[in-house]
Amino acid sequence: MASMSMSLHAVNHRLTNIPVKQLPPIASCLATSLSNCGELLSAPQNQKSKSDSDNAVQVHKLMTRLASLLQDRSPEGRWTAVVLVKAVVEAGQWEILRGCEPLVRGLIAILAKPDPNSTKKMAIITLTRIFHLTYQYPTLVREITTPSLPSFITSALNLISVKPSSEPIRRLKPHTPFLETVLNALGELIARHPTIFRPFSAQIHSILQAIIGSTSPAFPQNALDSAERLFISLHHCAPKNTSGEEWRSACQMTIASIHGATDHVFRAVVEQWESADPALRQASRPQDYSREVGDGGQDTLGLAGWQGLDSGVNRLVVLLQMLSTCLTTATASMVSIPIGHILDLTSRLTAVVVPSDGRDIQANPQISRTEREHLFAELPRIHVSCMELLRNLVKSLETGAIPLAQTILEQALWVYRAEKFSREVRASAYELVQTLLARMGPSLTKQSITSLADLVRASCHDLLPPAHDQSASAKASSDAKGKAKSNLAAANADSFLNPMLKQGRQSDVATFSSLARAASELLVGVLTHAPTEHLSPSLRAEIDRTIILTSDKFTMLASVLNPVPAVKGRGVSASIMPFLTRAFPAEMEVESLIRPRMPVLMNAPGIGGYTDLGEEEEEDVSAPVSGKAPESTGFLQPSSTPILHHDMMDTEVSHTPAPALTKRGLADDSKPQLLTPGSTGKADSNLQSKRPRVEDVVPATTASQPSLDKTAPTTFTGTAAVPVSLASATATVDQSSKIASVKAPSATAVSGLLAGSAVAQTASADAGEDDSDDDLPALNIDPDTEDEDEDEDETMEG
Amino acid sequence: MLSECFIAATLTSGKAPASASLRDVGICVHEFQPSPNLRSTFKKSSTPANCLAVSPSHVYAAQAEKAIVHVYSREKGNQEAIIPFPERIRSIAIAGSKNGDVLVLGTEGGRLILWETCTGRQVATTASHLSPVTALVVDPSDNFILSGSADASIHIWSLVDILSFTKLPSGRDRQPPNSPIRTFSNHRAAITSLAVGHSSGRYNIAVSAAQDNTAIAWDYHTGRVLRTFLLPSSAISLAIDPVDRAFYVGYEDGSVQSVDLYKAQSFQHPLHDPSLQSTPAQPSADEKWSPPSADCGAAQSLSLSYDGMTLLSGHQNGKVLSWNVGRKKYSTTVADYTHSVTNLHMLPLAGLPNPSQDLKRVAHTIVKPRYDSSLSESSQSAGTVPADYTFSTHLLNPTSSKPTTARNLDGSERTNQFTEAFTRAVFPESMIEEGLAELAAFNQPGGNTAQGSPMMAQATNYEDLAAKDAQITSLENELAALKKKTTANEAARQLTTDEVTKLRSDLANLNDYVNELHQKQDQAQREKVIRQARKEERETRKREAWFAAEKKGKKGDTVVRRMEAEEAMQTSDSDDQSSDE
Repeated sequence: MASMSMSLHAVNHRLTNIPVKQLPPIASCLATSLSNCGELLSAPQNQKSKSDSDNAVQVHKLMTRLASLLQDRSPEGRWTAVVLVKAVVEAGQWEILRGCEPLVRGLIAILAKPDPNSTKKMAIITLTRIFHLTYQYPTLVREITTPSLPSFITSALNLISVKPSSEPIRRLKPHTPFLETVLNALGELIARHPTIFRPFSAQIHSILQAIIGSTSPAFPQNALDSAERLFISLHHCAPKNTSGEEWRSACQMTIASIHGATDHVFRAVVEQWESADPALRQASRPQDYSREVGDGGQDTLGLAGWQGLDSGVNRLVVLLQMLSTCLTTATASMVSIPIGHILDLTSRLTAVVVPSDGRDIQANPQISRTEREHLFAELPRIHVSCMELLRNLVKSLETGAIPLAQTILEQALWVYRAEKFSREVRASAYELVQTLLARMGPSLTKQSITSLADLVRASCHDLLPPAHDQSASAKASSDAKGKAKSNLAAANADSFLNPMLKQGRQSDVATFSSLARAASELLVGVLTHAPTEHLSPSLRAEIDRTIILTSDKFTMLASVLNPVPAVKGRGVSASIMPFLTRAFPAEMEVESLIRPRMPVLMNAPGIGGYTDLGEEEEEDVSAPVSGKAPESTGFLQPSSTPILHHDMMDTEVSHTPAPALTKRGLADDSKPQLLTPGSTGKADSNLQSKRPRVEDVVPATTASQPSLDKTAPTTFTGTAAVPVSLASATATVDQSSKIASVKAPSATAVSGLLAGSAVAQTASADAGEDDSDDDLPALNIDPDTEDEDEDEDETMEG
Repeated sequence: MLSECFIAATLTSGKAPASASLRDVGICVHEFQPSPNLRSTFKKSSTPANCLAVSPSHVYAAQAEKAIVHVYSREKGNQEAIIPFPERIRSIAIAGSKNGDVLVLGTEGGRLILWETCTGRQVATTASHLSPVTALVVDPSDNFILSGSADASIHIWSLVDILSFTKLPSGRDRQPPNSPIRTFSNHRAAITSLAVGHSSGRYNIAVSAAQDNTAIAWDYHTGRVLRTFLLPSSAISLAIDPVDRAFYVGYEDGSVQSVDLYKAQSFQHPLHDPSLQSTPAQPSADEKWSPPSADCGAAQSLSLSYDGMTLLSGHQNGKVLSWNVGRKKYSTTVADYTHSVTNLHMLPLAGLPNPSQDLKRVAHTIVKPRYDSSLSESSQSAGTVPADYTFSTHLLNPTSSKPTTARNLDGSERTNQFTEAFTRAVFPESMIEEGLAELAAFNQPGGNTAQGSPMMAQATNYEDLAAKDAQITSLENELAALKKKTTANEAARQLTTDEVTKLRSDLANLNDYVNELHQKQDQAQREKVIRQARKEERETRKREAWFAAEKKGKKGDTVVRRMEAEEAMQTSDSDDQSSDE
């Protein structure tokens, strides 16, 4: 507290003594010190003690200085004031807010002054924050927000637009720098103060129409997003109880508007789609095919017309985004989402795809071929927005999307198959399918998984540096040898000089592109949610290979946790666990996976609670506590003694004072347990007996990666040295080669490697069986993987 | 502050409740921790076992001996609707535990009815059970429904398959639609209770108890038995430890028992140890935890606290007992509702920050199921979502805590400057810097034209500015000079290039000329030779003619003269010709 009052003093001193001109450079430091004085600023100011009153004086001084700075003649002073007001308001909360009415007036006045843009922007943000913070205090809303909010809205709107007449219509100023800030601020406030916004709703609506309807994308995407969000939020202003209908009609109008635009944009092809809604079936109007594609009149949403295919596609994309925004913006009350209409719309938009072999689109003979080709070039953009919309739908409905999941999946796959050449379509399809898998993955049938295989393969390709590049350059060089040397000059000379160059660059791409991220998330989704037994072995091998080469921890974990179920007669199937442990030996997830230490027994003495050897003398003190008052059982009891832990322990167990609210940290339990004299020896032996086993398994599973070394020789040159030594140590070659052939039929190139390691594994397995008669339990480091496989083996047999 | 509540439902009996506050009450919301007391009640409900389902917004209670389900709103604390169904409902469960969107109802006739509470859609399955469906659970992944019946079988249904508008492609063509995907029939008597483990992955377990005194832990993804437990008596209720380490059974005599899945200090999950799977385990009767008094009645329902260390049991005499799991003993009587407590449902802790459980939407009211006489999908055109399919919900702002990041078309993350500035305690550095730069620019003379300039700043900077101006002028001059030089250079180069081109063309012309001259010379030579030859010929002829004339005695000169005249004409002709050639 003392240090706070000191820094408050210092701030005040600097604010009053440093010339106003020189304040801006230190404003940031001042704001930081102020925000650290939060406790002081928010302290109630009616206390009597001397230090408190001194603090109150300082706070008062600060507030007056800020108020005067806000009125300062120089822009620097005003700028500094805005920065500091925001910090003070955030730190002081109620105590400051209640006295900030003059500040609010000063800030609103700044909006009308010829100040630098940043001052105004920050003033808008600060005001929004003040209104936001006062929301939870009805008295402050009455005193501050209600009187000043209308003038704030007016001046904010004046910044971005002009009001030509008395009609509630505003015209947007061109190139205004405040657009995004103002729209965000209004969007932030409109849901909380709908009644104050109601008189302005028509004006805001007219501005938003101009922004959303502008066909040449003159507005940055951020501003467009904010405009869409605000447009949807306008339904909050609807009179009592009609907000739900307002929302629904906004949604329906957007859908109708998209249909209207689609009528024109898709005129080059004959659509096969038939609406599920009988009202829409007759709606298609005859068009004038002689003119350039466009919509002259206003559409359902009241947006202006457009000309040219590019503008039309832009309009479609914007409207689809707006529909997505509908589904992700908070609503005022219960709304009914027209899912049927949305899916009807997406089925229309996704029905038209770029023609590929086997799928021809019926062309409209009245439209020129150039326009049709133009449309096909623009289709991926439309479909990306479409899939984004579907993804938002699934994300906001969560389990409610289960009835739709299969329909959406089919639409996504249909688009994907025709337009996989586009990176954007691929990325959106990965994301959408990943979102769907989280909902419906476990019930996918073999057929559905097979239909996903193509997508999963493509995601593997997107994750990896394309291997065919290297082979292509190799082929080029062999061609050059075979034929004349004329095309040598055309080959990439750098690739000969520095073969690593290309790989380095591509791995960079793989790390940063969102496509790669979507692809890797899809792999995690497939492994985690889809039934692994339905994945074809070759696809699974490709996934595992990709995962190893990308070395992403989460995908690796997903693969290890969802092993390939054992097929009868195949032996134990491969796991990429060794790669995981090699790559991330110190990660907590890996540790918990391979050395689990769950407290398996809940009632054994000394296990249930925290044990501390040094505090055994406290036993007598604690025993009566645990005995009394069974009423107060439970971890939520606000008691100072950890009763919960006593209850769980038998009385002879010592206890350690743990905070009453701490829940039993299950993972922590075994650690102290290992330290108790009784269990130390056993635990140690457990650990020791476990370790050699781990090392045995590591090379075994390494080796049985199918076709890994064959396809990616350059990456694994380092590991090749290890198996050689192993192989030389092998004694029984017959047995091992037999196992190897059973285990990984495709890995012909690595037989030496397999021979060595497979023996190691069989040996360890034998050892494990021998040990099972001893009192030491047969340790199994990955119960989730191997045992399941064995279990399923049995089921297959039985 | 954290608090933990449970919801208990009772089956109305003839007895009158002891306290007036419990009159007519069928469902109680009871605070369990920190201080046990009655929070709120819902009236007029009589619920048999397994007939209570709780969603974040509503409580559903199927009524005993009736074909109706009462719906209570938890927000408003009142009865919201009474939903009639074509059959008596014997068990209910909720799918989508986070939002509770789908209510699954097991009917007297042995089929399931799925009711989407946000859309009003209703789907019925085949009546695959031969007896009423008495136990229902939905697995944590919301993909499978497990239904137990008095006919001793447990069916596993795919929730996605049943609800999906477009049916999943499947290899099960022989089966009628909406039929179970798997059946578990290891029990020999009526199923009394079902429970599933807490994993949403592939290796989740289910535990079922039947009247044949067995409880079986099994894998519902494959239908494989993991372990059979021969219980001392017939279990009527089940609960699974939050970590799936043990399960608890409640018996007819009011006692409960914990069945530990980890007996040995083993790191392998004993359930997945194949050597143990064939041998049934037999928890001894002595290990039962006995109730405080014998008149408690059967332990009809069990529920575990959040930390898994306290077990609650609802008994036939209306008492809710709490048991200490660690000490395996009865600890207290939490509540007494007079009527038989048939359902206990522990609510999640209130007050724990748990972002994954944050609701993105909430349904304030349910949509009653639309009347559908056939309760089947056959009337609908297959595969399409009907246009009037709407989903009623209240979307909440899911991103209130963290700033929204949208994505650009190229996929890069786009941060919103506004939200960044809005949520921080002070303005972000980038914004401050932008402002400082702008202020600096504001004070430059360039900016003065637009705004009233601060004269002081200009005065202090005047000399400085003058110096700068001078420097700028010199620099500009230099620049101009350089430009000029460059232009000159350029011109010179242009000139040279032109010259070279011209010279080259001249050279070419000269070459051509030389060739021409050569040709002409050659030709002249040839003509000269030809003329020489002709001349010689003429001479010869003249001489011959002269000799011939002399021989005849004529005067040779005249003949020669005549011939010369003739030849002069010929030569001129031939000369003409040769020149033409």
